Amino acid sequence: MTIDAAPPRMDPSELLSPESIARRRAVVRQTSSLSLRRRRIVGNATRLACYVALVIALVPLVALIAYTIGRGAKGLSVAFFTQLPVPQGVPGGGVENAIVGTLIIVGIGALMAIPIGLAVALFLVERRGRLAAVIRFVADVMSGIPSIAIGVFAYALFVVPTGHYAGIIGSFALAVLMVPIVVRADEVAMRAVPDDLWDAALALGARPSRVARSVVLRSALPGLVTGNLLAIARAIGETAPLLFTIFGSQVLEGDPFHTMQAMPYLIYTDGTQADPHLQTIAWATALVLLVFILLLSIGARLFASFMTRNAR
Amino acid sequence: MGTVSEVLARRGRRPVGPLYAVVRWGGALVFLAVVVALVVSLVWQSAPAFRHSGFGFIFSGTWNPDAGQFGAGVFIVDTLLTTGLALLIAIPVGIGTAAALTEFLPRRIAGPLATGIDLLAAVPSIVVGLWGLLVLVPIFERHVEPFLQKIPFLKSLFSGGDLGSGILLASVVLAVMCLPTMVALTRIAFQGVSVADREAALALGGTHWQVVRRAVIPGARSGIEAAVTLAMGRALGEAIAVALVIGGGVSLPHSLLGTGTTLGSAVVNFFSEAIGLQRSAVIGLVVVLLAFTTVANVVGQLFRQRANRTPTLSATDEELPEAERAVA
Repeated sequence: MTIDAAPPRMDPSELLSPESIARRRAVVRQTSSLSLRRRRIVGNATRLACYVALVIALVPLVALIAYTIGRGAKGLSVAFFTQLPVPQGVPGGGVENAIVGTLIIVGIGALMAIPIGLAVALFLVERRGRLAAVIRFVADVMSGIPSIAIGVFAYALFVVPTGHYAGIIGSFALAVLMVPIVVRADEVAMRAVPDDLWDAALALGARPSRVARSVVLRSALPGLVTGNLLAIARAIGETAPLLFTIFGSQVLEGDPFHTMQAMPYLIYTDGTQADPHLQTIAWATALVLLVFILLLSIGARLFASFMTRNAR
Repeated sequence: MGTVSEVLARRGRRPVGPLYAVVRWGGALVFLAVVVALVVSLVWQSAPAFRHSGFGFIFSGTWNPDAGQFGAGVFIVDTLLTTGLALLIAIPVGIGTAAALTEFLPRRIAGPLATGIDLLAAVPSIVVGLWGLLVLVPIFERHVEPFLQKIPFLKSLFSGGDLGSGILLASVVLAVMCLPTMVALTRIAFQGVSVADREAALALGGTHWQVVRRAVIPGARSGIEAAVTLAMGRALGEAIAVALVIGGGVSLPHSLLGTGTTLGSAVVNFFSEAIGLQRSAVIGLVVVLLAFTTVANVVGQLFRQRANRTPTLSATDEELPEAERAVA
């Protein structure tokens, strides 16, 4: 719709004639309705496109979960949790060693990552300045580092010099993966503690260590627990950091300085075999792993909402 | 921190207990030491291969360890190709999904869906890879690939290849892996756009879509850019899931259905068997991969900082931890 700048070379009386008015009115009505219709069509089409995108996003994600449940449930039994793997071709057997191994490896990894992450987060919260900014940025960039790189790093740092694979090297790799996540989550949780609380405690003459312990950590506890649980949930499913570090094992191993088995590692090795029985075991292990992660994620959310509700 | 601590610090009487200082500084220094060790040890261990091959390590496309030829060119091309295709799928689908969740669907339906998608972000890549290998490969082999090869004009893009596994499937698997993160971050960015902006657009007579197009998406731009670059970092660096579905060819793919090897999947496939110079070369692949993902992540973090600074985007205090968690 352009407005003609040239003056109308018309008789004014003709401009005001009923036919002329009607003609112009029709044009206006037509253009506006056309434009409105067009806008409606475009609006509805794009809205439809967004719904289609939603479906496209949901279908594979739902299918992924459905397949894991469907194929994994077939392999589940009591023996699956309480028995060790059997030689290929022999029916039965379980993955007790992988479940125990994952718990030990991730547990030790968390014991390494959580204190360091908390200390770094305290450092970031209390200090301003260039070093804090650098550490924060490094932590952010580290949280996106490929986990395969961390696995190779742990291999180069420990497996090469010692000449041994061990569960605890996998724990170290997982800890490297977790620390940036823990730092970020802890810092956010502690930043949520109002400055007034810090000041009130300091004004009472408390030492900063006392403030950190009794005031900040206590009031930030729900956020800290939630963030750390989510970091563990992230680490528990990682395969790449374990690929070149734990080596895998067929027996139940409680000593982290020996080679160990873990659920993601077992999914990788068994899932790539042609034997349908091993594939079923891989699916069942994937299902157990998903349940672990789901429990951790939901537990983290429930804990956060429970604690904040109690605090009020 | 606050005023009291600032006054104390100014007067130089900030009473920091020695043990506490050790804890804080200790943590920070250990963290930095690990990061430095990571970079230094990988670069150091890969140095022989870089010295052996020079620039050919990046630009040569021949990977033939037996002949002492280490060129990562093909792996780099395959990495960029799969990541690009994955983003080509994940960006429109992710933005559309986020728009449907925040703008179009009633909150009653959108809320649970959003939570569900957030939870799916926690699905480990090995499970996605297992699903790709055991479910998608046969489906691609029997249905998707024959179908694609019947499309006129695009046939040449999908020539050859009847394996199921290949570049295209790897891209699809990567897209599935990136989507939940993409949706979560975009959704948060959309929610951060102020109500006033939306109302202004509505008051000017905008339709629902025009509000999204003219107010929400521009307002959330930094957030979307951050989501895309972080998803890109994830797609570039994924190793195991890709290794399971990409087929493992070491020459340039003849079409999108051809097999390939990305930097990450090359490490998975070659590392265990490699010794000597070859191992050094595989670690060199990790260094190249690290360079790619670091660039993507640095750019992503810069976008994210900008998104958090933009006033219309600043989430409320209650939303912020939730947003940060979704990223983690």
